[in-house]
Amino acid sequence: MTGTSLRTYLITRLALVVPMVFILLTLVFLLMRVAPGNPIEASLGGHVPQAAIRQIERRLGFDKPLYDQYGDYLWNILRGNLGRTITDNRPLSQIIEQNGAATLELTFFAMLVAIVVGVVIGLLAGRHRDTWLDVGGRLFGVFVYATPVFFLGLMAQLVFGVWLGWLPISDQASPITQALLQTHTNIFFIDAIWDRNWAALWDIVQHLILPATTLGLVTAGVFIRLIRVNVIRTLRDDYIEAARARGIVERRVVFHHAFKNALVPVITIVGLNMATLLGGAVLTEETFNWPGIGHELYLYLQDRDYTAVQGIIIVFALVVVAVSLLVDFINAFVDPRIRY
Amino acid sequence: MGKRRRLLLAGVAVAAVTAAASLAASAYGGSKAGSNIIVDGTTGTVVNLDPANQYDYDSFTVDLTMFQGLYGFPNGAKLAPVLATGCSHSKNLKTWTCQLRHNVKFANGDPMTSADVKYSFDRVQKIKGDQGIWTLLTYLKTTTTSGPYTVVFHLTAPDSVWPYILSTNAGYVVDHKTFPANKIVPNTDVKDLIGTGPYQLTKFTPGQQAVLTPNKYYWGPKPKNGGVIINYYSKSSTMKLDLEKGNIDMAFQTFTPTEISAMQKESGLVVHSAPGVVIRYLVFNVKRPPFNSLAVRKAIAYLFPRQDIASRVYHNTVTPLYSMVPKGLPGAIEPYKTLYGAKPSVAKAKAVLKAAGVKTPMSIQLWWTPTHYGDASSDEYIEIQRALDASHLFKVSLKSAEWAQYSGALGKTYGAFQLGWFPDYPDADDYTVSFYQTNSFYNNGYSNKTMDGLIAKERAARTTKSRIKYLEKMQTLAAKTLPTIPYWQGNMIAVGRSDVKGIDSTLDATYYMRFWLISKS
Amino acid sequence: MAASAVTARTPHGRARLIALGHATKPIREATGMARAMLWSGAAITLFFIVLGVFAQWISPYGFGQYESGGVRFPQLAHPSAKHLMGTTVQSSDVMARVIWGAQTELKVVAIALVMSLSVGVPLGLISGYFGGVLDRALVLVMDALFAFPYLLLAIVIAFLLSNSSIGAGVFTAAIAITAAYVPLYFRVVRNHVISVREEPYVDAARALGARPRTVIRKYVFFNVVQNVPPIATLNAADAILLLAALGFLGYGIQPTQGAEWGYDVSRAVSDAASGIWWTGLFPGLAIVLLVTGLTLLGEGLNETLNPVLRRRRFGTIEFNALPEEVVPYE
Repeated sequence: MTGTSLRTYLITRLALVVPMVFILLTLVFLLMRVAPGNPIEASLGGHVPQAAIRQIERRLGFDKPLYDQYGDYLWNILRGNLGRTITDNRPLSQIIEQNGAATLELTFFAMLVAIVVGVVIGLLAGRHRDTWLDVGGRLFGVFVYATPVFFLGLMAQLVFGVWLGWLPISDQASPITQALLQTHTNIFFIDAIWDRNWAALWDIVQHLILPATTLGLVTAGVFIRLIRVNVIRTLRDDYIEAARARGIVERRVVFHHAFKNALVPVITIVGLNMATLLGGAVLTEETFNWPGIGHELYLYLQDRDYTAVQGIIIVFALVVVAVSLLVDFINAFVDPRIRY
Repeated sequence: MGKRRRLLLAGVAVAAVTAAASLAASAYGGSKAGSNIIVDGTTGTVVNLDPANQYDYDSFTVDLTMFQGLYGFPNGAKLAPVLATGCSHSKNLKTWTCQLRHNVKFANGDPMTSADVKYSFDRVQKIKGDQGIWTLLTYLKTTTTSGPYTVVFHLTAPDSVWPYILSTNAGYVVDHKTFPANKIVPNTDVKDLIGTGPYQLTKFTPGQQAVLTPNKYYWGPKPKNGGVIINYYSKSSTMKLDLEKGNIDMAFQTFTPTEISAMQKESGLVVHSAPGVVIRYLVFNVKRPPFNSLAVRKAIAYLFPRQDIASRVYHNTVTPLYSMVPKGLPGAIEPYKTLYGAKPSVAKAKAVLKAAGVKTPMSIQLWWTPTHYGDASSDEYIEIQRALDASHLFKVSLKSAEWAQYSGALGKTYGAFQLGWFPDYPDADDYTVSFYQTNSFYNNGYSNKTMDGLIAKERAARTTKSRIKYLEKMQTLAAKTLPTIPYWQGNMIAVGRSDVKGIDSTLDATYYMRFWLISKS
Repeated sequence: MAASAVTARTPHGRARLIALGHATKPIREATGMARAMLWSGAAITLFFIVLGVFAQWISPYGFGQYESGGVRFPQLAHPSAKHLMGTTVQSSDVMARVIWGAQTELKVVAIALVMSLSVGVPLGLISGYFGGVLDRALVLVMDALFAFPYLLLAIVIAFLLSNSSIGAGVFTAAIAITAAYVPLYFRVVRNHVISVREEPYVDAARALGARPRTVIRKYVFFNVVQNVPPIATLNAADAILLLAALGFLGYGIQPTQGAEWGYDVSRAVSDAASGIWWTGLFPGLAIVLLVTGLTLLGEGLNETLNPVLRRRRFGTIEFNALPEEVVPYE
């Protein structure tokens, strides 16, 4: 009985993904076409004669009717061909591989920081509700949430990079390290380990510290709040009372029973924050000169490079959808009440 | 359970303390080594490296190290033959015959011959890349060869500046074996981007790095360094901090004026600056009210706060400009100074408006664009607004649009708008013809028969002296009819650490950054 | 009480007052942390609202003012007696820009809140109550919008509108923010409506033949709307961060149209690298403080209104006498 309803749930959720993605694709297409300016004028306006610009636009098919362009667009995506960017002739797949990998590296370590900081403070705050620990933890959570990531990043750069001089403030690695690094996965951290290039690894780790910590701290605020609420809710539950009544030591009650259950939503929170993290990554990437996909998107948006923007947003959205799907499945598996 | 946990906690604490200590002690610029490699920082973005589809300054900076044309600017701002040994032209300036240098090899060892030259020009015209560089070859009908070292260009109209065109990247010579005839080579296909220049591109990571190593087959003098790494930044502030820390050796394009002022005071850095050829100007749509009134345009010309902009906004890294042709180029004169004065004059502006019966204060809209020309654009236009408002003759409302939208609108939508210009080639011709001809690229409705006549004569001029005469006439006529108001000429600025030499030798009117002249002591 | 005696002439009016009393009871009963957060958050938020509303009178200078009495302000000057927070690269006073910035932030957030509430709440109510195809379709669209990183959505909308008659500025930013938050209000309201819709009293009303409009208005709306204030304040906090982010990226409000903290921080980034800290620190702190205030207010409201977390002060429990009409058995 449980098996079939889980399966039905899976299928229903998967089926719903298709129209949702379709809506997203259409939305992206329309928004880009409706926005004023086009990529050709963006690159050539101001120094190339108008006649030449029109000629180029015609050649690239920008004067075809909208539904024609839409049809081409959908057809290409179905074949998995995200195309090449208009402005610098770069294959979308390369952008996703190289820049996507950089963003992945950043968001992975940021998420790690967020989880560690958030969980530890959230657990402590929830456990010792209304004590100074709680107050301090919550205030901390509110402050890091309220601080815009670019402001926190700027302060971090100033303090740790400029005044104390401890850490680098931009890029994934020093210029020469980066020039010499062999590419295997495009994730610098892994590539350095692959080649057992420990000097490079150390350089890369140093470059990761400020951006990952900044982004992680800002995200931790959300974690602190939610985990704390969950700890409080769990500690009130009947089975906790029951455990206490059975005479189990308080510490074991807290750690073994309450915390474990309070942490279950961490997966959900991670999933829900995927979109936030990808959005926040743009700001962090701009601040720290991190060559991620958010930064590329920002540049291509400025240039109205339709193909690039569409391709990147689709990938973004698919990642978010995939992660939330995964999160829903795990939740449905764990908690039968959630099924459709 | 408890004991294990306590040990774990202790271990974590020890590790944390060690990490912190080593962090504090480490000199993280892990690779300040690489002794003879110059690391250059820039905030630009590379669009295309294939010369047949390249038309922006940042891509050009890289191509300049890898490719060469028949003519060029090897030393300073004097046009000289590079891959050619000389060119002669027919009397009607429509046929140009060039002799090529012998024993030139491409970076992969292939020999360069006239076949490569013809191939390169044909390719640009055939591909008609979307960056529009092929428009520079509009007058080229065909290219023919006569033996392995002679090339003949057949033009459709007389063009006295054809050798200048040969010096642009529309005329860069590429290896016919590695460049396809009808496709653009992607930026990351470094093994196909083969030219005859002093460097070869060995690695390109878009948005991050370009790695250049010396071309071992180079026919000219060896570069003064062992290689160049160009590091791309999205913000000039991070670039400045990296320069101060020594992660990069030099930086070129583009710091904010505040940053330059600050760096001028720092001991480990040297700000190298020389008059450059980038200009900034205001364009009027001469058909759109209220700018269709010459009196209104004249009044604005009388009030223009060039000194305030140069000193307050740009901290004197730019100089006031009184003609579209910047000082330093042959033929440059200052008609705007002669006609409207070096400094703003409220009295004169008031007089000209009164004489035309214009009611003051008059409301006008000025358009500018926020990021394309740097953040200082905002400060620049606020100064202009302040000056015009303070005269009580105008009430200025500032409007902005970001570049992608702005560049498509220009004269079609706006009445008065900001633009900058960076030359295709450093000659006064490039600062006049495209602005003053009927149907200029910014659609400002300017059409003056006398001017068109002067342009045709300039293009067909057979001596430098007569050409310059026509250029001067064009500048004066433009100042009288006011399609634009030029207001500053930017310095070419590069900042290097104190151990970097050779930057000064490459700062000149060509605005070329010749990396092969730079070394570290 | 006196008030109820005066206004509550009808049983209807009296019932309304009692309902209002019930609604605010949790706030009056708030204790401990929740209370501290609620009131401190309210105080901070109120402080900024006052700054914003009375900017004209509080600020020493205009946001674009660069001179006084014919004397130009110095450029990038250190904080001093005349310019308590220093001046910017455009010779504007930083404190003036912070104070006027409060007005800009409030304008944008207020407009955005009103717009997203007036779109998101009704849509959520209708969709949740009636269900069916409309519901499914709306959920799909909203989920798709939700999956879109909201910063990017806001940027694209800012582009779209910058060419229209609205132009760049306060309204554009507000609309961009609205687009990003409507899906959230929709989702929250809809989910709540779905759970409330199954409640027995709603069923009973339907069984008695009440029209959907009445049911929604009388039973569902009040129930659901109690959820909105905490979310709205937390959303206002988020909206300010979003506006600052737009400003930082260059898609927000230009300095000639008004003062905006995010834009000032973006210009300050290059200043900071040159040792000029005051142009960025003060606007940045302003953002942190206002968002903290709103978040504390929101969290405080959440703690007091959310029954799971609510802590009651234990006072005497009174049993009200039953009204005559409802005496159970005679």
